[in-house]
Amino acid sequence: MSGTNPAFRVNGRPVPLGEVPGDEVLLDTLRWRLGLRGTKEGCRSGGCGACTVLVDGRGRLSCLSLTRELEGTEVTTIEGASDDPVGRVVQDAFLEEVAFQCGYCTPGFVMAVTGVLREGGRLASTAELLRHLGGNLCRCTGYVAIARAVERARERLP
Amino acid sequence: MNGHARPDGPSKVRGEVEFGTDLSVPGMRWGALVLAPLSHARIRSVDLSAARALPSVTAIGAAEVHGLVGASGEPERTPFPLGEVVYRSQPVAAVAAPTLEAAREAARAVRLDLEELPAVAGLETVFPEWPGPEAKRSPHVAAHVLARRGDIARALAGAETVVAETYRTGAVQQVPLEPHACVAEVTGDRWTVRTSTQSPFGVREDVSAILGLPQEAIEVQGTWVGGGFGGKGASLLEPYALLLAKAACAPVRLALSYREEFLLGRSTLPMVVRLETGVRGGRIVARRVRLLLDVGTSLPGRDFATGYSIGFLLGPYRTETFEVEGYAVRTNKPPFGPHRAPLAPQAAFVAESHLAHVARAVGVDPEAFRAAHLWETGGTTSLGQPVGPFGLPAAVQAARARAAEWRGRLPPGHGVGIGLGFWSTNTGAGGEARLRLGTRELVIEQGEREIGSGSVLVGLAEVASRRTGVPFDRVRVEYHGTSDAPFDSGVYGSRTVGALGRAVDEAAVAVLVTVGQRLGASGTVTVGVDGDRLVARAGDRRAAVEELLTDAERAAGGIVGEGRHYGASAGIDETLVVDGSFYPYQDFTGAAHVAEVAVDPATGGVRVVRYAAFHDIGVVLHPGLARGQVEGGVAMGLGAALTEEATWSEDARLTNPGLVDYRLPRLGDVPPIEVTFVEGYPGAGPFGAKGIGEPPIIPVPAAVAAAVEAAAGVHLTELPLSPERVARAVKGGRTCGAGDAAPAR
Repeated sequence: MSGTNPAFRVNGRPVPLGEVPGDEVLLDTLRWRLGLRGTKEGCRSGGCGACTVLVDGRGRLSCLSLTRELEGTEVTTIEGASDDPVGRVVQDAFLEEVAFQCGYCTPGFVMAVTGVLREGGRLASTAELLRHLGGNLCRCTGYVAIARAVERARERLP
Repeated sequence: MNGHARPDGPSKVRGEVEFGTDLSVPGMRWGALVLAPLSHARIRSVDLSAARALPSVTAIGAAEVHGLVGASGEPERTPFPLGEVVYRSQPVAAVAAPTLEAAREAARAVRLDLEELPAVAGLETVFPEWPGPEAKRSPHVAAHVLARRGDIARALAGAETVVAETYRTGAVQQVPLEPHACVAEVTGDRWTVRTSTQSPFGVREDVSAILGLPQEAIEVQGTWVGGGFGGKGASLLEPYALLLAKAACAPVRLALSYREEFLLGRSTLPMVVRLETGVRGGRIVARRVRLLLDVGTSLPGRDFATGYSIGFLLGPYRTETFEVEGYAVRTNKPPFGPHRAPLAPQAAFVAESHLAHVARAVGVDPEAFRAAHLWETGGTTSLGQPVGPFGLPAAVQAARARAAEWRGRLPPGHGVGIGLGFWSTNTGAGGEARLRLGTRELVIEQGEREIGSGSVLVGLAEVASRRTGVPFDRVRVEYHGTSDAPFDSGVYGSRTVGALGRAVDEAAVAVLVTVGQRLGASGTVTVGVDGDRLVARAGDRRAAVEELLTDAERAAGGIVGEGRHYGASAGIDETLVVDGSFYPYQDFTGAAHVAEVAVDPATGGVRVVRYAAFHDIGVVLHPGLARGQVEGGVAMGLGAALTEEATWSEDARLTNPGLVDYRLPRLGDVPPIEVTFVEGYPGAGPFGAKGIGEPPIIPVPAAVAAAVEAAAGVHLTELPLSPERVARAVKGGRTCGAGDAAPAR
C-alpha cells in the first residue's frame, strides 16, 4: 500500500505521510500535525460525528480512520468546505437557518451533510437524507434547525 | 431567522472559532489526571517515582500542592484527596509531558496503594426507611430543609381522599459535545488559565478557594464554549492545570477524554420523592412532599439543590396547607452538579404525574384539576413569594386547546399528554456591565463568553441597541479576562438577558445620560448612524459622538457607562421555614407542553410523534433565538424523559460512561416542534424579557409521561421512561382509567 513517498491530499494540498506513525488517527493528524483544528474532537470513538470529514467526497469519521491507510486519497475538512460547491451551499443553509448554537458539532455536521448531499443529491428526499445523519450528535439545537438547513441545501444544490 | 443575524454564524459554519479543546501555545505540555480506581478507599501512598523517571515528565500529588502554591486553600476542597478517596475517578495525582501519549503513559506509571472501604451508591442504601429526625446528625446528610404551613396531619385527616405515591428519578449528565479543556500558564505570581467555562469569575473564585491564591493573582479568560448545560459552571480542571503549569514551568493543556467527561462530570443525581395529597370537594386541601436527594460527595454547606428542587416538587400550584421536607444525602458518587434547570424536569414529572393521578382518583379531569389550582398573576406561591405577571395559565389554556385538537384524530396506540413547569430568572451572585460608546460603535466589555444560546453575543447586544438606538450591527461584544472585565456570575440560570441584561441596560442609560449632558439637552437621547459615524440626538440638538468626547475618552475609546444588577429577591415567607434554606425564585415564567406519542406495547418503546410548546418568556427580544432555545430544550428533555440515565453499580462505579450506553436524542428521535410564545406578561428583565435557557426542558418528561399514560394506560413513577420500564408496566397491566387514550391494538 505505501509507496516510496506516501502522501495524501488535504483540501487540495499534498501532505507527505512518511513521518506519520502507523497508529495515528486522521483526527490527530489534522488537528495537531497539520493545525487544522476546525475538525472537532468529541468522543473519539465514532459515537458523536463531531470529527466528520470527507474522504474522496464521502463522509468519514476521522477519529476512527488511520491516517496511513488514507494514502492516495483526497481529504476535505471544514477548512476546505467553502471551496467545494456543495459544501458552500451547506454552509450557507446552516447560516440562514441558524442551524448551530455553540458550534462545536457544526463542522462535523456541515461535512456530513455535504457528503450525504453529494451521494444522494437532489433526487433523495430530505427524509432519506436525514436518515443518514443519525451519527452526528447535536446537544443544542434539537436538530430542528439542522433538518431545515438540509432541506434548504438540497433545494439549492448546484 | 426572526431577529438580527448572529455575529458568530459565519465563523462557526467555517469551523473557525477556537474552543477550549482547540487551544495550543508554543512550548505547551500535555496534562493527564490519575483517577482513583475505587469508589471509597483509604490512601496508603501515592508513588510518583516511576512516572517521574520517564523523560520530561512532571508529576504532582497532594504532597506537592503546598509547595507549589505557597499556601493552602479551603481544607475541605483540596485538589487531591489527603486521607481518603471518596468517589471513583477522583483525581489523586496529575502529570504533564511533551505529548498526550507520554502523559497518559506517565499517569499509568503512578502507583497507588489504596485500602478499599465500603462504598455507598444508592439513596435507599443509606436510608432504606424514611429518615427520622435523628438523620440530621448522620454523616450522610449534607443538608436538611423543612417548611410547613398549617397543620398537615389534621388537614390530611380531614380530606375525603388521600393519595400517597413514591417516585424515583434517575441521574442525567450534561454531555456537551466539547469536553472540558483548558490551558494554564504561571508567570511569576500571575496564574493564568484560558478555559471553556460558563463562568470565568466563578472559576476564579473556585481556584482561589481551592489553591489558596488571592483572586488578584488569578486571571481567567473564557474561550468559546462548546456547550455547557450547567456542566461548565464551576471549576473542574483549572486548579490541576495551574498546579501542573507551575510545577512544569511551562504552559499545560489539560482536557478530559469523553470517557472522563462521563466519569468526572458533575451530574444531576437521583432522587426519591414521597407525596401525600389530600382532596376535599375537588380541591387540594393538604400536600406533603418528602425528598431524598443524592448529592454525591457534595460537601455540607455547599448543597443548593435540596432547597431549590422542593419548589419544583410543589409545582406552580397554590396549596394552603403543606409540609415539605428534603434531605441531601451523601453517597460515593462525584459531587452533584447542575444540569440545565437542575432537577426541575424530574421534579415537574413527579408533581405533574402525581397530581394527575390524584385527579383521576377523585374522578376529576387531570388537566382541569391542575388548571384550577394554578398560580395566577398577583398571587403568591405556597412559600409566600409574590407571583408577578405570569403567563402560565394562558399557556395552559392554549396547550389544552391543542391537545383537544390532536385527540380528535388519534391513531390507535397513540396518546396525548400535557406537562407544565415554571421557572424563574436566577440572578446568581449578580453582575456588572461596562459599555463604551465610540465614534463608530458601541462596545459591551464582557468577561462572559458565548456558550451557544446567543444570550451574550446577541441578547446583551440587543438590549444595548434597543436602549441607545445604536443599530444592532454597530454593537460589539468585547471579551476581557477577569482582571479587567466587569464582574458577572456566569452564563447560567437563564440569567444572561434577564439579570446581566439589566446591568447592561443600566450602563446604556448611563451612557445616554452623559451624552445628554454633553449635548446640553434634556429629554430623550438616542444614538443613530450617519454614514459611518454614530450621531447623538436629543430634542433639537444633534452632534456626532466624535464631537462629544473628551480627550481622555477619545484616547480610551469612548464614553463609558456602567451598570450593575445584584437582584432584589422577593422573599420567601420565612415564618414557614423550620429548617434549612429555600431558594428564592424570582420573576416567574412558565410553560405548558403537549406531546403526542406512540407506544409499542411489546417493546415498551416510545416514539414522540409531534410536540407543541407554549411559553411565557415575557417580552420576546429575539424570536429566532428564543425558538432555538425551545427546540433544543425540548430535545434535551426528550433525552431525560426517555433514554438518558447515568447508572452506578452497588460499589458506586458508573456503569455507562459513554455515548453507546448513555443514549442522547439523535436526529431521527426529535419530532416536529411547534413553538408559541404567550405574550402580555412582562418580566423584570430589560424591556420585559424573562429567561428562556432552561424553561423549555422542564415540562418535557411530564408531558411525555402523560402521553404514554394516555396511550398505554400505564402510570409510571420512575424516570426515565425506558422501554424496560414501560414494557414492564404494560405487562403488569397497571391501568389507570386510560381517559383520552385511543385503544391500543
